[in-house]
Amino acid sequence: MTQSPPLSEPTRAVRKVHKPSLGDRLAEQIPRLVVSPTMLIAVVFIYGFMIWTVVLSFSTSRILPRYEFIGWQNYQRLFGNERWMVALTNLGIYGVLFVVICLAIGLLLAILLDQKIRAEGFLRTVYLYPMALSFIVTGTVWKWLLNPSVGIQRFGRELGFENFRFDWLVSSDMSIYTVVIAAVWQSSGFVMALFLAGLRGVDDSIIKAAQIDGASRITVYTRIIIPSLRPVFFSAIIMLAHIAIKSFDLALALTGGGPGYSSDLPAIFMYQFSFTRGQMGVGAASAVIMLMGVMAILIPYLYSELRVKKDDR
Amino acid sequence: MANLYIDNVHKSFGETHILKGIDMDIADGEFIILVGPSGCGKSTLMNCIAGLEQVTTGRVIIDDEDVTQSMPKDRDIAMVFQSYALYPNMNVWKNIAFGLEIRKLPKEEIEETVGRVADLLQIRDLLKRKPSQLSGGQRQRVAMGRALARDPKIFLFDEPLSNLDAKLRVEMRTEIKKLHQRLGTTIVYVTHDQIEAMTLANRIAVMKEGHIQQFGTPQEVYDNPANQFVAGFMGSPSMNFIRCQVVDHQGDATIAMSVDGKDFHLPIPQQEKGVRERVGQEVVLGIRPEQITDVVPQQEQASTLANVDAEIIVTEPTGADTLTLIRMNDQEVNCRVHPARAGAPGDTMTFMINMDKAVFFDLASGDRI
Ligand SMILES: Nc1ncnc2c1ncn2[C@@H]1O[C@H](COP(=O)(O)OP(=O)(O)OP(=O)(O)O)[C@@H](O)[C@H]1O
Ligand SMILES: [Mg+2]
Repeated sequence: MTQSPPLSEPTRAVRKVHKPSLGDRLAEQIPRLVVSPTMLIAVVFIYGFMIWTVVLSFSTSRILPRYEFIGWQNYQRLFGNERWMVALTNLGIYGVLFVVICLAIGLLLAILLDQKIRAEGFLRTVYLYPMALSFIVTGTVWKWLLNPSVGIQRFGRELGFENFRFDWLVSSDMSIYTVVIAAVWQSSGFVMALFLAGLRGVDDSIIKAAQIDGASRITVYTRIIIPSLRPVFFSAIIMLAHIAIKSFDLALALTGGGPGYSSDLPAIFMYQFSFTRGQMGVGAASAVIMLMGVMAILIPYLYSELRVKKDDR
Repeated sequence: MANLYIDNVHKSFGETHILKGIDMDIADGEFIILVGPSGCGKSTLMNCIAGLEQVTTGRVIIDDEDVTQSMPKDRDIAMVFQSYALYPNMNVWKNIAFGLEIRKLPKEEIEETVGRVADLLQIRDLLKRKPSQLSGGQRQRVAMGRALARDPKIFLFDEPLSNLDAKLRVEMRTEIKKLHQRLGTTIVYVTHDQIEAMTLANRIAVMKEGHIQQFGTPQEVYDNPANQFVAGFMGSPSMNFIRCQVVDHQGDATIAMSVDGKDFHLPIPQQEKGVRERVGQEVVLGIRPEQITDVVPQQEQASTLANVDAEIIVTEPTGADTLTLIRMNDQEVNCRVHPARAGAPGDTMTFMINMDKAVFFDLASGDRI
């Protein structure tokens, strides 16, 4: 029997200690150096201006910023303003319909495209194409299409349906729904792409297993595939919701907020009060409310995204 | 419970032919093991049986019904997938219960079945977890559970134990064997594990490149391989193949062998008539490591034995035996000797070669002679 040497000695002499060289340390810092200007710009122009807006919302600013503070008065005036309440109601209608319809159409298109059909690449591009247009273009095109005297209504009448009516664009009760139509047309292809990517991520053998378990195609979708797309639903809702809150250009190009202010949205309200009606204080207050709305959606999202690694979605 | 008849099944994906005419006639209640190198088409064949892939030509007949055109759900098969294929959105309980719910079993029966299966597979503690919170071995057991919860005509298992630790694997193997004895359901089971194959199977099908090379009982496949591929594939460590010449020695056909510069002759067993007729030709001798051992005196008189002194190149102790590498006809040969009698590398020791179970293959084709 031989005695084995002690396993660890308290202090062990080493021949050499490796230290990172100057070059290594520089290489480590390069990413930080590269992003720092962008970072600076972001801090000033995004967060700086956010804070400035908040400050202005408590001031008496009208056409130009003034730093004379009046507490919550701008907010009181804002919520006393009927036009703002119309804009909020419209946002509610528009936001809910836009998100729900986009999700429904996007999911349906994605499921149909996922059936291993021919020309899938081509169709995908077709559906995605509206996304490449700016909202202004979409708004303008739909303005023509929906205009009773040149668009769909006239087309219907020329086909022989003399009493065909489709005049939502010029009706103060229905004009907000035209914004929904145009926005859905623009964004549902994008939602489809999100869902399609999600569907492609579903392991083929899971579907096979469900088939062997006796599930019909529809059951496979409703019980397994769609539930497992929950994270995709989540991201899609977040994206659509904040597109909805920020919607400005589409409504402006399509209805201009009209007839009257019947299709006003908060973003249009904010723009007009801040920049055309010389009520910057109230406009800033409305902008802050919108920011709150976006944050109310994004913060839970970021929170869950950042801890998603820890447990199951 | 059902028989399964696979009739000349071909399967191609586009231009690539994966299955090239598979014929299998499996009786009701048989436990069939499917082995073969990776990519030879085992999973593809399983998918064809299950109806997940349409066969290109040929027929699949279950319980005397031609199901070639039937949907998977109408074939009444339960399958464990190589990739587990658990439903990611459901917890373990739901995963196991899903097939039963679809088949509209009463609630109490589902509860009871899931409980029974969970106990059998030792996954009771996991029932509330999602698949993403399980280890590979745990997922595999859930996948097993999902199949075992059902009472199908045929079970298809695609490497169901490959990710378990050694102890659990042995336990599960025994459980599967007991289960089969109790239920008597026909099972087709893919594995890469030699011991699983030998212990579980009623019959083993050895596949290579889309063909079945041999389909027989474990002992047949082990002792009487149809060709050099099967001989080399079954058994671990695998059979030694030694190129050698058949010569006439004192009026008897023998194998000429040279070890470390010394020439000698190995007897050819009487039953190997084909080889005896090939005097003067080169053949491949197949002999398993356990047939070259240290000298066991009480056996020494048998006519098929020969002793030879050889230098040890490498030793690999496995615990029960020591694998010892020597050279015969300048080719490396593995021998299995008792650990206490194994020499050290560089030593010369006497080996006893038992030619009783030696097999011979054609040099060119690899077929049994
Ligand atoms: N859907 C498919 N399309 C094209 N080729 C396929 C498809 N599925 C399988 N193959 C090919 O068929 C061959 C056999 O695959 P298979 O999965 O049956 O092998 P296997 O014997 O199960 O292998 P392993 O032991 O690795 O599981 C492989 O070469 C594979 O690339
Ligand atoms: Mg496989």
